Amino acid sequence: MSQQPLASSVQPTDIYGGDEVAAIVLDPGYCHTRAGFAGEEMPKQVIPSFYGQIGERELFGDEYINPRANFEVKNYMNRDSVVEDWDAAANLWEWMLVERLQPPRPLPPSKNGLNIGDDGDVVMDEDGNPSAPPAEGAEEGAEEYEKPLYENPLLMTEAPWNSAKAREKAIEVVMETWSCPAFWLSKTPVLSAFAAGKATALVLDVGGANTSVTAIHDGMVLKRSVQRSHVGGLWLSGQIRTMLDGSEPKVDIVPTFMVENKKPVEAGQPAEARLRKFDFPISNSFRAYEEERVLTEFKESVVEVWRSPGRLLTPGNEDYARSQPGRVFEFPDGYNQMWREQRYKVAEGMWDENAAYGANNADESSRLSKSQTIPGLIKAALDGVDVDVRPNLLANVVVTGSTSLLNGFNDRLNLELGALYPGMKIKIHAAGLTSERRFGAWIGGSILGSLGTFHQMWISRTEYQENGAGIVEKRCK
Amino acid sequence: MSQSGATVSQECVTAYNDLKLNKKYKYVIYKLSDDNKEIVVDSTSEDGPKYDDFREKLINAKTKSKTGAVGKGPRYAVYDFEYQLASGEGTRNKITFIAWSPDDAGIMAKMVYASSKEALKRALTGLATEIQANDADDIEYDSLVKTVSKGTAAV
Repeated sequence: MSQQPLASSVQPTDIYGGDEVAAIVLDPGYCHTRAGFAGEEMPKQVIPSFYGQIGERELFGDEYINPRANFEVKNYMNRDSVVEDWDAAANLWEWMLVERLQPPRPLPPSKNGLNIGDDGDVVMDEDGNPSAPPAEGAEEGAEEYEKPLYENPLLMTEAPWNSAKAREKAIEVVMETWSCPAFWLSKTPVLSAFAAGKATALVLDVGGANTSVTAIHDGMVLKRSVQRSHVGGLWLSGQIRTMLDGSEPKVDIVPTFMVENKKPVEAGQPAEARLRKFDFPISNSFRAYEEERVLTEFKESVVEVWRSPGRLLTPGNEDYARSQPGRVFEFPDGYNQMWREQRYKVAEGMWDENAAYGANNADESSRLSKSQTIPGLIKAALDGVDVDVRPNLLANVVVTGSTSLLNGFNDRLNLELGALYPGMKIKIHAAGLTSERRFGAWIGGSILGSLGTFHQMWISRTEYQENGAGIVEKRCK
Repeated sequence: MSQSGATVSQECVTAYNDLKLNKKYKYVIYKLSDDNKEIVVDSTSEDGPKYDDFREKLINAKTKSKTGAVGKGPRYAVYDFEYQLASGEGTRNKITFIAWSPDDAGIMAKMVYASSKEALKRALTGLATEIQANDADDIEYDSLVKTVSKGTAAV
């Protein structure tokens, strides 16, 4: 999206006053962290929030997550999507924003092209931008110049249940470590609702680690409505694992990196693959991460949400599902099988606690309760708000998050809501574009951050210096 | 202040007061200025206000995107609904705020309107109720009156 240049007479004098703000939008999540410039339609960088660690060394980015000795895969967030390891988080973000996103670096006056001494040519890198000055050339005393994001206001997103401590920590990193000129913190469901054109909405965010339901009224989160549970993408992976473990014959997930070559085999026959040998042990965390890739593919190509009639456990439906054409999935080692009713059953637990794999398990911790299912979350969220606003919320249900892209998800949601609230007008708004669903909050942040009028909202560096980190609680409600 | 930082021009309030106090208009439609910085008056009801004209105007509203492409556009509107009570106890007026944001409008336009709405709503005092409308069905006269009157209007 190109931006209209302002007439020079109205060109603002302060750094981030105009439309041309070079603001960065950072949207951290448990599975992925997204970053890019405000005003763009898509985040330029989407990298896993998982990172590799060898001893003290941290390796960021998907391409560095490879089989290595003493390699552990970690995540800077906890399963509640709240940052836990702040050092790692700040390192990963900085790597992402500075190395990968490469915002234009401020040039010291001697190098900014106006004081050219020798041949009069400004060195260009392949993007056509004047290349950054070599570090030793920065003779200017201004220490701020050397901080990486000196010219970029930063808009960050957060979960509605983020703690006050984590919010203050965020502004500290942004202001102290990076010297950003301005900062703003927005809640993800608010941005998703805005991006759908709604200031009042019930936002259902079905993400990787969590599924949350939040009521937004006039652009504000109704705190008492916020509900969440672990019924998200990773939970679904867990269901698939249980299903594979319990199937006859038991299916082992062999991640792609372990397979050296494979022979085609008939459906249901044992795999014939030669596995790669490593002369160092593969850590469990790395193996789990790689298995997750296979499961993601399985979710994308096989899993489907049971649409209707009724629920999957309704008598007769399971037999009917079994008679439907199945889908074939081939694992990296060549094992393949036709999946029929299983592909519905793994997702059924999102809606019906009794249908989940392991529902009859004695182990309480792995079982879902009714209130953790999606209908349960929605009911609890609406019970937490005023009766008068409920019809308005139900008429504006915004669905976002990658896991909501499961086939049949919206049809089922419509059915469940209709059963929960008979006679009410229910309207589901789910972006048709896959990317808008995956990056809903980021896109919302991108638009907000690019608005020329938004500059008066930012918490400026000066305000931070005068008031301290506590200002984020006062301003970013 | 709205979350986008957009402001409300004085003419918005003037037109609203003309509608509320002087009954000069049946409706006022507002839009964001082309640079998205300020909310201004788009149009007002002319002589012989008809609801259909109002609805047509909303459905045909356009917004220019940053690249210059013209697409469907969101609007804000205030409509002075008048209806007969079903109980026969006379007529009632409800000044209603409508946030019109068609689902097929551009994401940028929708976002700007949604995040700027608060500013306008706060500037207009005495609104009886508010409607968020996203497609043509949402702004059918009958269903709107039903919602606005909370079911007390005579059909």
